[in-house]
Amino acid sequence: MKRNQGCHSLDHQIARRQFMAGAAGGAVCLGLSDLSAHAETVKGQHKRILQVYLQGGVSQLESWDPKPGTEFGGPFRAIPTSVPGMHISELLPHTAQRMHLLSIVRSINIKTNDHSQGRLFMEKGRRAGEYPYVGSIASRYLAPVNSDLPGYIHISTRGLSDATSAFLGAQHAQLKFEGVKPPQNLGLPKNLNETANNRRLQLRQQFNQQFRQGRRKSQTETFDASFQQASKLMARKSFFEKAPADKDLERYGKHDFGRNCLLARTLLENNATCVKVTHHGYDSHAENFNFHLEQLGEFDKTFSMLLDDLHERGMLESTLVMVYSEFGRTPKINVRYGRDHWGTAWSIALGGCGIQPGAVIGKTNDKGTAVADREVDAGHLFHTYLQALGIDSTRDHDIRGRSIPIGDPTTQPIKELLA
Amino acid sequence: MVLVLTGAAPTVSAKPPLHQQIDSLIAAGNPQFEQQAAPLADDATFLRRVTLDLTGTIPTADEVRTFVADSAPDKRSQLIDQLLASPEHARRLQYLFDTMLMERRPSKYVKSAEWEEYLRQAFLENRPWDELVHEMLTVDGTDKATRPAARFLLDRELKSEVVTRDLGRIFLGRDLECAQCHDHPNVNDYLQRHYHGLNAFLSRSYLFKDPKTKLASIGEKAEGQVSFTSVFTNEEGKTAPRILDLPEIPDPADMKDAYKVKPAKNVRSVPVYSRRLQLAEALTGSENQAFQKNIVNRVWAIMLGQGLVEPLDMWHSDNPPTHPQIVKLLTEELQSHDYNLRYLFRELALTKTYQRQSHVSPEAKLPEKNLYGMGLLKPLTPEQLAWSMMQATGVSTATLEGLQAKQRKVDEKKKTKLADDPLWQEETLHTALQGNVTAFVRTFGIVGAQTSRFDASADQALFLLNGTTIQAWLSPSGNRLTARLKKLKQPAEIAEELYLSVFSRFPTETEIKQVSKFLKSNPKYSDQDLQQLVWAALSSDEFRFNH
Repeated sequence: MKRNQGCHSLDHQIARRQFMAGAAGGAVCLGLSDLSAHAETVKGQHKRILQVYLQGGVSQLESWDPKPGTEFGGPFRAIPTSVPGMHISELLPHTAQRMHLLSIVRSINIKTNDHSQGRLFMEKGRRAGEYPYVGSIASRYLAPVNSDLPGYIHISTRGLSDATSAFLGAQHAQLKFEGVKPPQNLGLPKNLNETANNRRLQLRQQFNQQFRQGRRKSQTETFDASFQQASKLMARKSFFEKAPADKDLERYGKHDFGRNCLLARTLLENNATCVKVTHHGYDSHAENFNFHLEQLGEFDKTFSMLLDDLHERGMLESTLVMVYSEFGRTPKINVRYGRDHWGTAWSIALGGCGIQPGAVIGKTNDKGTAVADREVDAGHLFHTYLQALGIDSTRDHDIRGRSIPIGDPTTQPIKELLA
Repeated sequence: MVLVLTGAAPTVSAKPPLHQQIDSLIAAGNPQFEQQAAPLADDATFLRRVTLDLTGTIPTADEVRTFVADSAPDKRSQLIDQLLASPEHARRLQYLFDTMLMERRPSKYVKSAEWEEYLRQAFLENRPWDELVHEMLTVDGTDKATRPAARFLLDRELKSEVVTRDLGRIFLGRDLECAQCHDHPNVNDYLQRHYHGLNAFLSRSYLFKDPKTKLASIGEKAEGQVSFTSVFTNEEGKTAPRILDLPEIPDPADMKDAYKVKPAKNVRSVPVYSRRLQLAEALTGSENQAFQKNIVNRVWAIMLGQGLVEPLDMWHSDNPPTHPQIVKLLTEELQSHDYNLRYLFRELALTKTYQRQSHVSPEAKLPEKNLYGMGLLKPLTPEQLAWSMMQATGVSTATLEGLQAKQRKVDEKKKTKLADDPLWQEETLHTALQGNVTAFVRTFGIVGAQTSRFDASADQALFLLNGTTIQAWLSPSGNRLTARLKKLKQPAEIAEELYLSVFSRFPTETEIKQVSKFLKSNPKYSDQDLQQLVWAALSSDEFRFNH
């Protein structure tokens, strides 16, 4: 039997060992350092992700790949950006001035027009199967051991409950915030104060000490870690309660998305590893143009402010920024002035950590109906995100005796996009 | 089963019972094994462990008292039999096998309640495992009586990549997913033809939605071959249905009248020769050892905390069983006992291997690698956690007493005795408290692949720390645990009742002192102190794990 030559299983194994050894080494360093004393250095080194998910499928023609004056171009113009020669939709005037910080991939074909399949493919880099989301991988490999926050936080105002961590385990699953509302059960029961809480936690530890004698610790330590994370979140309850400064709200906008992005900033500043903010409402089967005018108006200003803040705080070099959807929208305009689902030729924007700024990767044909150059799918993008973060996506997850390729072995990163 | 033979002269040599054979095989090759291994767990620990494993909840304080005081030499085997015969055992297996088979998938075409009831009835009757699987894979969903059994296929929408992978994982112990597109990169034994051989059983079946009733069922065509190409090598392959490396099952030569019901618009086609029906035969047939080994391994993992092969769906030559002889023995026994899972559970519970304590003495060193020299910690499933918390806090008992009181009035009028019937009690209590169980499943349940790993997340801890459900169970009303503790005056009495109710054992001297120190740290302890005490115990490692 001739075995396949594509996966190089031996390479996988060796590479994995090096990778795991590297990861463990890094973790030990962080674990031993005094986090508060070294907060500044850690902030600089700790790689993070900001994901802005435009749920429903943003129109590439009204955002990153405008085709004004063509059959399907729609009513909006293309405007120049801070990158000479790069044009984007006039619906994104603020973002346009910051494109020297971002890059665009215009040649995505994921061959699906299904919301759920598209979303899963974009998050997992695989069309099918139980694989972890980008955010869970970041939590697993990038989050400092003593992180103050769970590794993967998703701020969203609607319920989309996904199994995000697969074999990486529940501690790397997304912790979902319903907007700026705190996670459930964050507040102490009403008849319990701080002192009483500490007392009961101490007592819990007392019970545990006895039980742990003569037993292996890995499972009980995992259980403990969940309580520590919970306590940290409870201690940071003020993140949610403290009203944002008027000045910030003025800049970000007094809408949900503005508030959610402010919370995302706070979380990233406090060393969260992956923060995902979902901006809902791009599924514009009818009135596509009015919808995008409104939605992108909200997105453009808020996102630009967040990008500025990350940039000014020196966090952009260590934060991968992804603006993405589950697919784009049909070039053809339907009878309700809408655009339908279109996974065949669409765009996303990337920036920050590990990404070459100011680039445009690939292109669509004149009418925007098909990819004309450098076709990629979510598998390529997945490798690109991870490699931008310094994770070798061609290696394997090593999960209890099971080696699982991190990225789909049949696809590669978009090398020219990597800084 | 065994009783049938009583009186007849034994024809085969008198082998020791299965559980003894298992223990011998575990110790085989190491004359020091018994000295090195942990001793058997004490009665209270054993009671808690086996009650959790066989019925899904912890025993009550009274059950602990009674069992510990019982002086019968065979009380452990009596207990095992009693638990296996209880309605709670069928419920526990319903939960376990639902999770194993459906992996907490939302119900789509078959109501989960009907499916769960189907499973529970099957386990109440102790139906043979091969028969059950046979049924799940052959029914087409059109007959109301058997429709729940079709959930395995229907709620996967007969999507070929989902069903094929899950057949491999759940029934054969092999995750063939990577072999869909190419021979597995890391596992030499998993070939593309294995994947597509399984796929070929199902490739002609499809989900049919009746336009009138809107009901989904399974239709099948009479033609369609499976071929595949490796994405790496571009090698092409073709296969008829087959289970792994067993021979291909060719279609019958004469296919002139191929259909019982011909395909047409809005018609569910039914072929004369169904490949799908061959699947059940081939999968559960005696030739297919993978099916037998898989279930043996899974039941072993339920009882012992890890599979003889681990991960459970990674059987291959580079990942052999830790004890191949045990796999062989259990497989043969299961077959000769007609796939009687209850027999398997019983024998495993009777082993010394199962009954060893899960810790070594403080001065002893932990064994390098755990090969059953001591018990493993087993995290409670969401269902076990919910029921055990309700048992510990007294919520279950109080609820049941309330329901019984109501029923007694009805019984009196109707001259029935339902209130005393264990089956009625289990069903009624389950219905009453199901909502709580669902809340735990939502928080602690892991969607997707089943794993023997333990994971804990922040929102689970927050649920335990601050969730209203558990806080409500701690309030000292009626005859709940905190109310009972409140009535006791001496810290030693409080410690005893607490430990029996929550940890299912008597406290040690040190532990009594700790409880009394905690209570005395407040001049006059309040309800709040008692609630904190119970909370800390419920949230502790000792409660979170079956040990």
